[in-house]
Amino acid sequence: MPPERANPPVKLSLPLQYQQDIFTELRVEDELVILARGLGLLRLVTNLLHFYDAAGNNLVLIVGADDRENEWIGEALAEHYAISKTPLARGLKVINTERASVPMREKIYAEGGILSVTSRILVVDLLSKLLDPEKITGMLVLHAEKVVATSLEAFIVRIYRQANKVGFLKAFSDSPEPFTTGFAPLANMMRNLFLRKTSLWPRFHVTVAESLEGHRKAEVIELEVPMNDKMREIQNAVLECVETSISELKKSNTGLDMEEWTLDSALHRNFDVSIRRQLDPIWHRVSFRTRQIVSDLTDLRAILHALLTYDAVSFVKYLDTIVAAHSPPPGSTKHNYSPWLFLDAAHALFQTAKSRVYQGRLTNDMAPSLSTSFSATLQPVLEEQPKWIVLADVLEEIERDTYFNPTPAEESNSVILIMCSDQRTCRQLREYLATMHTQIDSNFDEQMENTDGISEPKASAGIFLRRKLREYLNWKGTVANINKNLSTTPNTPAGKSRDSSAPLNPHQGRPPPNKRRRVRGGGTTALVPARAPNTSVQTEVELPGQVSGLLDEIQPTAAEETQKDEIVIDDLENMEDYYELYDMNDLIMIHPFDGDMDEHILEEVRPRYIIMYEPDAAFIRRVEVYRSSHVGRNVRVYFMYYGGSVEEQRYLSAVRREKDAFTKLIKEKGNMAVTITHDKSAEDPQEQFLRTVNTRIAGGGRLAATSAPPRVVVDVREFRSALPSLLHGNNIIVVPCQLTVGDYVLTPDICVERKSVRDLISSLRNGRLYNQTETMLQHYKTPLLLIEFDQSKSFTFDAFASAVNPGASFFTDYGFSSAGVGTSLPTSSSLANPLNPKSPQHMLVLLMTAFPRLKIIWSSSPYQTAEIFAELKKNNPEPDPIRAVQLGLDIDIGTSSSASAGRGADVMAATGIEHRIFNKLPQDMLSAVPGVTPQALERLILETGNVHEIANMSVEQLDPLVGKEVARKIVGFFRKSVFED
Amino acid sequence: QALAAKTGPSAILVSHRQKGNPILNHVKLLPWEYEDIPADYVIGRTTCALFLSLKYHRLHPEYIYSRIRSLGGKYNLRILLTMVDIPNHEDSLKELSKTSIVNNLTLILCWSAPEAAHYLELFKSSENAQPTAIRSQQAQSYKESLVEFVTTPRSINKSDAASLISTFGSLQNAINAQPEQINTVPGWGEKKVRAWTHAVREDFRIET
Repeated sequence: MPPERANPPVKLSLPLQYQQDIFTELRVEDELVILARGLGLLRLVTNLLHFYDAAGNNLVLIVGADDRENEWIGEALAEHYAISKTPLARGLKVINTERASVPMREKIYAEGGILSVTSRILVVDLLSKLLDPEKITGMLVLHAEKVVATSLEAFIVRIYRQANKVGFLKAFSDSPEPFTTGFAPLANMMRNLFLRKTSLWPRFHVTVAESLEGHRKAEVIELEVPMNDKMREIQNAVLECVETSISELKKSNTGLDMEEWTLDSALHRNFDVSIRRQLDPIWHRVSFRTRQIVSDLTDLRAILHALLTYDAVSFVKYLDTIVAAHSPPPGSTKHNYSPWLFLDAAHALFQTAKSRVYQGRLTNDMAPSLSTSFSATLQPVLEEQPKWIVLADVLEEIERDTYFNPTPAEESNSVILIMCSDQRTCRQLREYLATMHTQIDSNFDEQMENTDGISEPKASAGIFLRRKLREYLNWKGTVANINKNLSTTPNTPAGKSRDSSAPLNPHQGRPPPNKRRRVRGGGTTALVPARAPNTSVQTEVELPGQVSGLLDEIQPTAAEETQKDEIVIDDLENMEDYYELYDMNDLIMIHPFDGDMDEHILEEVRPRYIIMYEPDAAFIRRVEVYRSSHVGRNVRVYFMYYGGSVEEQRYLSAVRREKDAFTKLIKEKGNMAVTITHDKSAEDPQEQFLRTVNTRIAGGGRLAATSAPPRVVVDVREFRSALPSLLHGNNIIVVPCQLTVGDYVLTPDICVERKSVRDLISSLRNGRLYNQTETMLQHYKTPLLLIEFDQSKSFTFDAFASAVNPGASFFTDYGFSSAGVGTSLPTSSSLANPLNPKSPQHMLVLLMTAFPRLKIIWSSSPYQTAEIFAELKKNNPEPDPIRAVQLGLDIDIGTSSSASAGRGADVMAATGIEHRIFNKLPQDMLSAVPGVTPQALERLILETGNVHEIANMSVEQLDPLVGKEVARKIVGFFRKSVFED
Repeated sequence: QALAAKTGPSAILVSHRQKGNPILNHVKLLPWEYEDIPADYVIGRTTCALFLSLKYHRLHPEYIYSRIRSLGGKYNLRILLTMVDIPNHEDSLKELSKTSIVNNLTLILCWSAPEAAHYLELFKSSENAQPTAIRSQQAQSYKESLVEFVTTPRSINKSDAASLISTFGSLQNAINAQPEQINTVPGWGEKKVRAWTHAVREDFRIET
């Protein structure tokens, strides 16, 4: 426990009552703290850490912190140190993959202090006893909501608790929602964390409410901005698409829990995710159409979001890319189209979106008479986002306010802080404000009057939007080329086209008109009479003449010429000098919401005025906390949202869900039985002995009692998966090593290569598995291929039972869809051509035929795998880590192998473990590049730095590494330009 | 050690024991014929298969062992074609995994009769096939490779790939682009941009 003696002065910075309460609680007891978002969790953590830091002579570990949190904590600790000047405080040390070799880590651990270690490294170090769990003073777990049974963090806590019963352990979370799903979620989570007590701090907690709602409340002005007609129209259209998609889903997937699949829930943030989760167990069985609809829902949700945040021109551009991404390559059949693109509503959506940008000159009315074709000339409309004008008004009001009542000197700067959701919105606002500002300068009195030559009086975003439109039209010109370039297959090998029975039609992206009668989706989608039936939405293509006319129309005028071009990249070279020129008092700052970092912004900027361009519940609380923490800082908050929009709904539902989650948690806490920490070492010692006794006395052999518990050598890269943790939970000693051959070594003879279904397919296809099997066979008597299914997904390969569309075989993420079984045509074609196997089954068969000695284990979940491993290890000798590591390596590390039983640390040190760790992600990317064979891949990752480097290498540079032909392919892949003809 | 003189037939050889097995109805693409063989199926010169339904296995756990014994040491590749037709399969599969390793069998799971039949057909038809298809990468069109390349980092999807390439023209430009530039591409939020730039710039090796 922490030293409680009257010790060096510890200065805390917890001004509010509830913060102090939590702190006192935490100091005394081990518990899980769940705090409402925005109430300053990190501040609590840093104060607590400082408390231990100041005491000195500690080894406190922080688990689960991400990079930015590490930064935050480090800074805050340094700050605390500067204030309290405690002699023993040493600040934070961070260990993540980029730095710290084994000896370095050992030294750091020995020194102690406050350490934040990446979970993957920490677990390996704990297992290999590089860091002795008994030496740890205590552990803080951040993001406790992520500690599920199979997670690395739970594994770490378990190792720690097994060896160390006295050290403290405190867990933190500021998102209550994950604690409420599933059966007795809170109790389970507590068990994973080996904790007995929770402490819940919702916003409606009495102390919290009192602390925040005292006399120092922030002044809030709520501005409900109505959407304009066209935006509402678009929103309705999208919602209609969503509704149709959902009803389609319901129709094709009976027998699912569909209570929640309503339009209402579609407004939630993670609607598509939750549908996906529901479908996962049967994902292999759902039809292609269902999968497509699920992915469409994600797109539609993104459109809804984009409608409110993007400017009109960017929005149209975004829609264009969506259509482009979903259009099938010429020659494929129509089922590749997303169904919603055929809807009436989709048509309206695209038309309205376009009419916000430009319109035919004759159809000047705002009414959505959309089916009217564009007339000869086009005219820019360039509608502005309604919030912009409100923003301009608010800024003006603030300006007037500060002018007429200059406030007495107080602690706030009169900075205006504008908060919005992301960088993109930031940039948009910045640009808008900048261009608006110059116009105000050019003619003081009539600021809404535009001088740059457009006939009608326009609002001030003109310059900005016109520039956007010019860019858009230029971009549009190249799109045709892009589509062509993307869809042509340079040298089509036989049998590669996905559905060769479809008529090839190189001239259009659509099948010929006489094919129209085909019924899609049961013919339920309503079609527009105004348009030819069965056509998708992008039928109206403006004639080149019109576009150039439009381009002429918006040629930059003299006033615009003076404006700078859009600055995307700013090499902030002498940023400090640049910023010092400004006085804090007349700045407008635009920032995106950024979680806990917002606290820093508030503290540093000390704004008088805050404009929340988009609603965010956590930020509101942060402002509350900020305001209540400081006596003399007045804040006025303007809070903007689109009335009746998805944005408003989302905000309200987020608030509601958090509240519900807390209510549920409080209830569960009240009913919870006492969690008794499961103590592994208190197990019957006799049982432990018996487990290791080999009771099989074959042929009158000796009764062998091995003193050591079973051991498995595990490749360090495997610690991403849940299996090592479960093995450990099964009382198997996990020895982390850097293996060249295989992933797990169970016995001297048995070596396992673990593949998830997804990995299996990709590594079968790119030849990696073939090579891995080959090397395993060289070194082990019994190589095993473990095919591990996801627990939440169904345990089956085959999808033909409900494949609605048996004629085509799609490779999806999960592969094994219509394997061609039972459908004569694709089966025969796949049988006919073993060089081009269609189904994963086929590839698997080829693998087995090539390697008869390879055995396969099928496991429905990591839990099952752990049991199978235990079974396989029975009556078999233990593996030797040193040997396992050395196999497949050229160097001899046998010199140190006499070390007793090869404790991990020695092995790791001996193999120079950290020299040989590779990042998987860039490798995976590289292996997707045409021509990159496993051999070439190996050469490339050894000889070059990263993907970026390879992309910029020339054929001459690559040639010595991979050979001329491959080099040419690689360079061709990276340099191919889709703009060219 | 292959069965002498039985080589060469283009048909799948089926043991008389298998009469009435529903999977035979699904073997349609290749001929099959009854033959007196120790295994259930002979699907290649040195390849044989035993068929086992887990339902049956649960009732008669000793059956499969007697069959394995009757195989003797024959055949090079011995498949244990297991049909998973019960919901709680864990224990049986655990046992079979162990058994298959001890007795030099290769376990194959299938979930339906047609799938089982498909496996038989696949084995027979690729009897003499070379494993070239799984030895190296398959040729793909530019778009396919492109999409695969770009969507490797999590959270980046197909639409993003399209918008990225249509903005930058070529992959090289997209890779060289600054995060701020990519951020202006429609659909690319900060998370995706970070994932992308990180993946592209991340070193293959983790240096010390």
